[in-house]
Amino acid sequence: MTNVLFIASTKPQMGVFADSVRKFQALGAATYLGGVFHLPSVAELGTTPLTETHQLPRNLNTRSAALRRKARKAPGGMKVWLQARGDSWLRRQARHADVLVALDPGAVYTVWRLAQYYRVEEAHFGIAPALKAVERVKQRGTSGTRAALPPLDIVKANARRAMDGLPAAVMRHATARPVMRSAVGAKLWRTAVQVPGVPPRVRVATSRYVAEGMQWAGRTSGASLTLAAAASRIPDLTTRAGLLDEAAMNELAKGISPRDMDKTVAARLAETDAEFAREDHVKASAALDRALTLAFHRVLHIDQLSSPLAEDAAGFTAPLYRSPSMRALARPQGRRTPYAEPPKDRPLRLLVTTSANDNFLRHILARYGKHQDVELRYLDLAAQRSLKRIAWAGRRVLEDRLSGGTSTYQEEVERLMRPYLDWADTVFLDWSVGPAAMLTTIDPGTTRIIVRLHSYEAFTRWPHMTDFSRIDDLVYVAPHVRDLVESLVPQLREDTAPRTHLVDNAMDLTGFGRPKPADARFNLGLVGVSQVAKDPLWAVEVLRRVREHDERYRLLLVGGDMNPKTSMATRVYRRAMEAQLKPLVQEGVVLRLGPTDDVPSALTDIGVILSSSVREGCHVGLMEGAASAAVPVSRDWPFYAGKPNSARTLYPQGWVVGSVEEAAKRILETTATEEAWRDAGKLAADHALSTWDWPVVSRAFDELFLGDR
Amino acid sequence: MIYLAIGFPPAAKSCAYRMRETANQFVRQGWDVTVVTIAQESWERDSGVDLTLLEQVDPRVRIVELPLSREDLETDIGLYSEERALNPNGWVTRLRRRQMEPFPEPNFGDWRGDLEQAVLKVHAEQPADLLLASCVPYVNLAAAWKLWEEAKVPYAVDFRDGWSIDVIEGVECFARDSAEGIWEQRILDHAVSLWVVNDPIAEHYRTRYPEFADRVHVVRNGYDADSSPGRVHRPDTGAGLAFGYLGTVNFTVPHLETVLDAWRAAREREPLLANATFEVRGHIGNGSGREANRHAEVLKQAEPDGVRFGGPAAKAEVASIYARWDAMVLILIGGRYVTSGKVYEYMATGLPIVSAHVVEHDASNVLDGHPLWTGAPGLDVAGLTESFVRAAHMAVETSDEVHAEAMAHADRFTREAVMSVAVKTLIDDHAALHRDSAGDAAALADTQPAAGGPSQ
Repeated sequence: MTNVLFIASTKPQMGVFADSVRKFQALGAATYLGGVFHLPSVAELGTTPLTETHQLPRNLNTRSAALRRKARKAPGGMKVWLQARGDSWLRRQARHADVLVALDPGAVYTVWRLAQYYRVEEAHFGIAPALKAVERVKQRGTSGTRAALPPLDIVKANARRAMDGLPAAVMRHATARPVMRSAVGAKLWRTAVQVPGVPPRVRVATSRYVAEGMQWAGRTSGASLTLAAAASRIPDLTTRAGLLDEAAMNELAKGISPRDMDKTVAARLAETDAEFAREDHVKASAALDRALTLAFHRVLHIDQLSSPLAEDAAGFTAPLYRSPSMRALARPQGRRTPYAEPPKDRPLRLLVTTSANDNFLRHILARYGKHQDVELRYLDLAAQRSLKRIAWAGRRVLEDRLSGGTSTYQEEVERLMRPYLDWADTVFLDWSVGPAAMLTTIDPGTTRIIVRLHSYEAFTRWPHMTDFSRIDDLVYVAPHVRDLVESLVPQLREDTAPRTHLVDNAMDLTGFGRPKPADARFNLGLVGVSQVAKDPLWAVEVLRRVREHDERYRLLLVGGDMNPKTSMATRVYRRAMEAQLKPLVQEGVVLRLGPTDDVPSALTDIGVILSSSVREGCHVGLMEGAASAAVPVSRDWPFYAGKPNSARTLYPQGWVVGSVEEAAKRILETTATEEAWRDAGKLAADHALSTWDWPVVSRAFDELFLGDR
Repeated sequence: MIYLAIGFPPAAKSCAYRMRETANQFVRQGWDVTVVTIAQESWERDSGVDLTLLEQVDPRVRIVELPLSREDLETDIGLYSEERALNPNGWVTRLRRRQMEPFPEPNFGDWRGDLEQAVLKVHAEQPADLLLASCVPYVNLAAAWKLWEEAKVPYAVDFRDGWSIDVIEGVECFARDSAEGIWEQRILDHAVSLWVVNDPIAEHYRTRYPEFADRVHVVRNGYDADSSPGRVHRPDTGAGLAFGYLGTVNFTVPHLETVLDAWRAAREREPLLANATFEVRGHIGNGSGREANRHAEVLKQAEPDGVRFGGPAAKAEVASIYARWDAMVLILIGGRYVTSGKVYEYMATGLPIVSAHVVEHDASNVLDGHPLWTGAPGLDVAGLTESFVRAAHMAVETSDEVHAEAMAHADRFTREAVMSVAVKTLIDDHAALHRDSAGDAAALADTQPAAGGPSQ
């Protein structure tokens, strides 16, 4: 009997694997599978004719912190080996195996170690070569004379590997969980990492052990404080910034806004500036990439109900732009020549492009796809591997800008994008994110470049990496977004800034005018609840207020829920939301309708449409609700409230409320009688259709693309 | 003639047929041909070996096999270093970077020295008048250049799909001043002739190198007459219509899933397809992923829908496999720069063809006018569903005359017809070059005082 031992770190392709096992069986082999993936959840394993399967340890949770750290920093293959190596079943099977097979890259190292230790001649990566090996073993017959002891050099190598782990074991005891759980122990260690006279290498290593111990004891902020404290004693800019970065990322991973974020970003910028001064643009761009990634991390700006950026935009970016590297990044390169007016004797060649997100392009593509004055091409940058690679290459964009346009990135963008620019008279790029930074790396030639910025982009690093002097027209969907972005990005306040336009999103509202039943009057609705910024709990508060007056009011939530995996901050919000919603759902007061492709139908049951968001560019759900003749009630989005432009300037007087109380008051007034409710709804629908419906908005796009053609 | 043809039979690769016919044609025109390729065992871990392919290689062709193999495809873990075992994918990435140093081509660049020595040795044993380098791999070009530099042996290049054009995405692959760009320019500056497989690629080269435009020739892939079932077809609807795909599975998983989704939808909708089968034959994956990758899994999962993966097909089986099928499913990657050899072979079957590729594809140009082509609706489930339904009707409703007409559509593309013209043209170009250089030498001799002649 030939023994074949399969090792897998992830679930194999089960259909193919089961077929293969039958082939091994047909060759007379006994087959064993050891996996570190969750075997019980793979139902197909039950019907696969394996001789035996075995669950290898799935993680290192019960192992030492030092071992876990080693695993985290090592390649994936090492982690699998560290998990599996002590397993007695594995060792027993390996001792008797004639053929060892790694089913995936993560399993190769385990097979390599086992093959060396147990002197297995046939050790292979993949099923097809393993089948051939079984044929070979059968031809020469299983020897059964394999040496009982592993080769001496292998034993020595293993011992050397173990020696490396010794100091870690000592540290592990000193920073064990019970010590770190006690406030005294934690504080003691935090002080210890700052003791003067310790060599930097030792200080860094010690602070990491301590931080890890604290994290293990549930002291996330303590861990970050320790790393930051150690960092303050380290003179080397890169090491210091690295430690602070680790400290910040620890907290961000837990959904916490890091307390030392300003210091961390400043350290990364100092590192950037030092490398930039040395003209090491690779290192400078890597450090700047970290600085910007941290400063614009989504936990700070997107997954929470407030953002430092919205509170004081200029104050937020001023420290960034004090850095010489940031100023070099923001230096406008301009275009060599103005764009050429397209010839009038043929249709305008319009290239509409985006990277995957085409949510707001449907009507534009449909209209200009059949417009006699337009020859339309659509390019999804995410659909082609080579374009996707350059479209989101943040660090390479930075390297190009810092090196004054001498990087290989520019050449790549030139090669891949120039054919499109050569063809197009006008490029319309939706979303001012990575692709805008990429496209403005090269001179647009004679092509006109139009970019649309929705709202989300303002909270990302991309506008700071985009050369707006190479964009001719910048389209905003709302004035308050324009104000915010202009206050954030210095380039947009210079003479070289693009022309700006305010054009509403393309929406077809005609289908929304459907009759509503009388009892819809008491149904408040919120369309879209998939992000923290939508703040559905505000709507729940409003519901509570109106129910104090009349228990017929209910709240309908339409749309997919926020994904807790997005970030810890999202998970925290979702948890709080679930806790509040649970009794209300049970009571039938809140109805969660889930995602739908048919919003017009969902809106027929909604009498009052809410916008509870903390920020919006323009709230499509509210506008569609208004078009359906639901009474609109919009929160004065806190990110913009009190500024010259806000929800109050975007929507008609009366729609916008400053507080939960005001919202309840408006709802109670407008729904006091069926007649009042229907009148208010009709007025809202009239406004929506005459302002935002596609036949109206499309004229603005015609003007933008075609001018007087 | 030294023919650098890595992929020559018995390699089970689609380029093997073109290479075989090229070598045979040269022999038929009276040339001595030495093929330089890599060892049979090396193909075992790549796309496999098909010994039946050797049967039709002219016995006068001499084959030199070099002990080269693709290190990235090694599956024997006993041969791995610890570094490789720890991180196989990362190690291969670094390997590819290293391989690019001798010659700018991942996976093959480090073959340069061996290939150069091999052609010099072959030339020393039997001096060559011409070298033809078939790419991929492009590292062959370094060997062609070496022989040109050392012995001024003229060379021609069969680029097939072209180097500086990414035929899949239809964009330029590298800039002129990149390492690859410099090699391509240098090679083409002195090449007798350049072959490519279709007009769009030829156009790319003519535009990129205008001074070289008249030396660019389109040599289509064509099909082997013996691969065609060569008879009028009688479908058996009782047993279920049989659809088939034969070729390397080189398309993406989403592409395959789109085709299978359409297949499922068509089976549900069309009674003629209710008991129909769809057989996929060819190579899937290489190295450790051979026949065990995601594609294989997707096909396996589709078995309840009458889909079956039957493994690779030996060349000798091809005609009989086609004879079992009632309609062909042409799944192709890329766009206007890709033709693929499959399209000719599929046409020659005279069976209805369902096109599962983008609309703007060179295969559409070749198929245009074929009476049993369903057209190219693009990679769209609804459109492809429609195509499957139409093909089912064509399979049972088409007259013998139309079948014959469909087969005739492919006549001008038999590989023999295509390659004999190409080889003859190359030989003529080579002869003309020879005449010119002989003329130049004579002219030079006329204008120079005689030296070393008998003393007055």
